[in-house]
Amino acid sequence: MNMAFKQETFRDDYTYHNSAEAIRRFPFPFAEDEYMYSVNIEQHNGGEPGSVFEHAIDVDEHYVAECEDRRIVLEDDPNRYIALPHMMDAQWDMVELVMESLSRDYPDLFQLTRDGDNWHWINQPLGIDQKFVFGDEATLPMQPCEYITRQVQGDWIILDQRDDDLFADLGMVTSQADWSMAFDAGMSFKEWHGPVPQANELGIFDRALKYLLHLQYGSPVRRLNWTMTINPRLDTSPENYPFWGPDNVSVTPDNVGDKVHLRVELQALFRLPRSNAIAFSVRGYLASINDLTTYPRWAKRLHRVLTNLHPDLSEYKGLDNYRQMVIDHLAPMDDGEELALGTQPE
Amino acid sequence: MSILDVKVADVEQVTEVVKHFTLVQENGEPLPHFSGGSHVVVSMNINGRIHRNPYSLMGSTANTDSYHISVRKQENSRGGSKFMHEQVKPGTRLQITYPVNLFAISKLGHRHILIAGGIGITPFMSQIADLNRLGYDYELHYAYRSPEHGAFREQLEEMCGKRVHFYIDSKGERLDIPALLKQQPLGTHVYTCGPEPMVKALHLHAENLGWPENHVHSEEFTAPPVGDEFTVELAQSGIEVTVPGDMSMLEAMEEAGAEPPFLCRGGACGRCELEVVSCDGLIMHNDHYLSDHEKAEGRSIMPCVSRAKCSKLVVNL
Amino acid sequence: MERGYWIRSKPLYDSLVWKQKATGHVVIAQGEGGIAVLKLFQQMCPREPITLLFADDASTSKNYADIIHTLVPEGVQICDSEQAVLDKLQAQLPNYLMGTQFYVAGSEAFIWDVLAELKVYGVQDINVEKELSGTLARSVYCVHCKTTDRDVHHSIHQCSGCGRHLFVRDHFSRRLGAYMGVMVDAEEPGNIPAKEEIYP
Ligand code: HEM
Ligand code: FES
Repeated sequence: MNMAFKQETFRDDYTYHNSAEAIRRFPFPFAEDEYMYSVNIEQHNGGEPGSVFEHAIDVDEHYVAECEDRRIVLEDDPNRYIALPHMMDAQWDMVELVMESLSRDYPDLFQLTRDGDNWHWINQPLGIDQKFVFGDEATLPMQPCEYITRQVQGDWIILDQRDDDLFADLGMVTSQADWSMAFDAGMSFKEWHGPVPQANELGIFDRALKYLLHLQYGSPVRRLNWTMTINPRLDTSPENYPFWGPDNVSVTPDNVGDKVHLRVELQALFRLPRSNAIAFSVRGYLASINDLTTYPRWAKRLHRVLTNLHPDLSEYKGLDNYRQMVIDHLAPMDDGEELALGTQPE
Repeated sequence: MSILDVKVADVEQVTEVVKHFTLVQENGEPLPHFSGGSHVVVSMNINGRIHRNPYSLMGSTANTDSYHISVRKQENSRGGSKFMHEQVKPGTRLQITYPVNLFAISKLGHRHILIAGGIGITPFMSQIADLNRLGYDYELHYAYRSPEHGAFREQLEEMCGKRVHFYIDSKGERLDIPALLKQQPLGTHVYTCGPEPMVKALHLHAENLGWPENHVHSEEFTAPPVGDEFTVELAQSGIEVTVPGDMSMLEAMEEAGAEPPFLCRGGACGRCELEVVSCDGLIMHNDHYLSDHEKAEGRSIMPCVSRAKCSKLVVNL
Repeated sequence: MERGYWIRSKPLYDSLVWKQKATGHVVIAQGEGGIAVLKLFQQMCPREPITLLFADDASTSKNYADIIHTLVPEGVQICDSEQAVLDKLQAQLPNYLMGTQFYVAGSEAFIWDVLAELKVYGVQDINVEKELSGTLARSVYCVHCKTTDRDVHHSIHQCSGCGRHLFVRDHFSRRLGAYMGVMVDAEEPGNIPAKEEIYP
């Protein structure tokens, strides 16, 4: 992956854009012409070189700009980071997970030296050089989990495991698809999934929860989820809906290819060792319809998935205002050719 | 399932029937961190047959240079504990799984009462390390048969100070569970590990005294019982496996080359659950996972501890 | 099509019934919760000690305190406000032991006020008997400015903190004891549906 970090914005003038390479490695989620929720969980222990699955935590050309966007969100609303008091062990587990993964997988960018509990962390892209004592909160400028999640892309929700359930008791959520950590904090697996249509009836949440309760340290898993976003905006939170809501009605047949973005969430789950908690990372990738249609295979596939989408899912994901416009835009690119199973671009 | 290659660094006879093993990673690296109450599954090669037993990690959660497990020699064992006692020496190589925690301290608890019987003390050793580190309020009540069976007593006195209480059966000392439960403030959780009658008694008393179920925690691993030989058919591959009387169904399937999932191998966690397609006899459920209703329905089996009295059992694997 | 609907993030409120296994019982009720209390005491009473904390709702003329007082022989503490009930509960909680069963009845806001007090002492909401009485009014948390308004009877509701018009979603937080309110005219400012009384 090309590591020239982009200077770009996810708000106001929206200068975000993808390099050709970033489009090529985009985690296109549709292997078939139809989409329905499923327990699409697979191992997350190293993927193809160059792919977004290669490393436990993917760092790409948008890294610096995404961390900056998170900083802006937190400045305006510190409650996007929520930590219930019994999660301090999990906070340190998070520090270890992120620092170890990044320094192992991107040694030119991040370095970690450990001498017992004396740790030295260097984050070159963000210009951070921090010595601290692992386990001693006072040696970091803020809570450990806030500190480290400001230095990594994607949202992070850390689940406490008790009573055969998972509880969202710690989280950094600044780039979410319309849900609120401040509101959902403390909820159980089924409670925070309450608003999702269809999936509960299909038994998906029962099976997924059972599986996750047995997730093992050293054997992380992942799944993909997706939605659509108008403009390359990361912060589509309910908190700031008044600011991005109007965009939803701004799509026209002329700007649809440029404005409408497919937003794919790479969700990885890691068991944390000291706390027995689970870290859930939600890393969003944005690609405009124009980006995607540089690959005819993706244009055809997306056209079919959107055409066949269950109306409840369309409504829940907030696509109703513009879905037909996207379908109409893609229709001329779909010759009806039969597409083999798979998400590959070509 | 991730596996660690370890080597036995030290073996210590703790009591007449309990041995303590210190394990280090073969490559010299520290072992993974873990949380109090975790266990690992140890694989042993006994005369060419792979045997896997779960053991609690006892050491401090802060020090992962080595892992510590203790094994009580079981008289009627199918060989695992006997092998650990008789064959395993400093230098022996073993394989273990990554730690798994099925007996964690409830972080919302305001006070924690730990009740151990005999070798059931082991999971508490690492839990106490966590409770001390986190500064939580706790008490340990440890009952054992006779003075020479009080494994780790001194170590516990050192770790717990005034928080530990001992009950020696041969001296007529008894833990009065109802009296203990009756005097606990709101927000207390109770944890037990030990012989089955003790675990059952705790659950019963706690229920009768109005304790909510989710304040009562127990760790109960069953060793796979012996039984009659039967045949299992794996529906997806068509493979037929004979389960000998002295082997668990899970072990027999593994030996036949299948890789069924597992975590605890003691009927507690639910990970190994298999759907029963058909059975021309009776399923002998020995697990703590399925509800009585599910056991009666007979649509699932936990092959780590359960078996069948039949000529053929077909499972969806 | 399903009939009725179920908010998965919200617990089910049931009718109060004595728990058979307990070392003591504490009943906490307010306003219309008085009826739930009266129904409870018409069941065969347990032998263990019972404490009852009750306050009438000052905003209505309905009064249950007197009849409760005559009907319930012992352990009744009548308070003159909801707040006084909560204060009394707070003062008494350190004395209760495991095995004590708690019962709450009243408006949803009151139920979650009580549960918040109990939580401080490690009592989890799922282990408390709850009966929703009288009003269906909701507490609404404005996701934009984080103000919680109590006694909301209408969707659409105008937030007292930021003035936005909120649609009340069927998503409930036990930690906040409130439903989520989201700006209804974010996409098309000014396009506000008529407000209706749907939580009488
Ligand atoms: C354990 C960590 C997880 C967390 C913290 C989490 C959190 C969430 C949240 C907050 C939402 C949005 C709900 C709303 O509208 O308010 C959501 C949606 C959803 N979740 Fe999860 N989830 C987790 C794991 C899973 C797993 C393992 C599955 C499935 C197998 C799953 C399936 C879904 C589905 C299908 C949706 C609807 C998404 C859409 O259509 O955009 N989740 N999740
Ligand atoms: S492996 Fe845990 S129940 Fe069988």
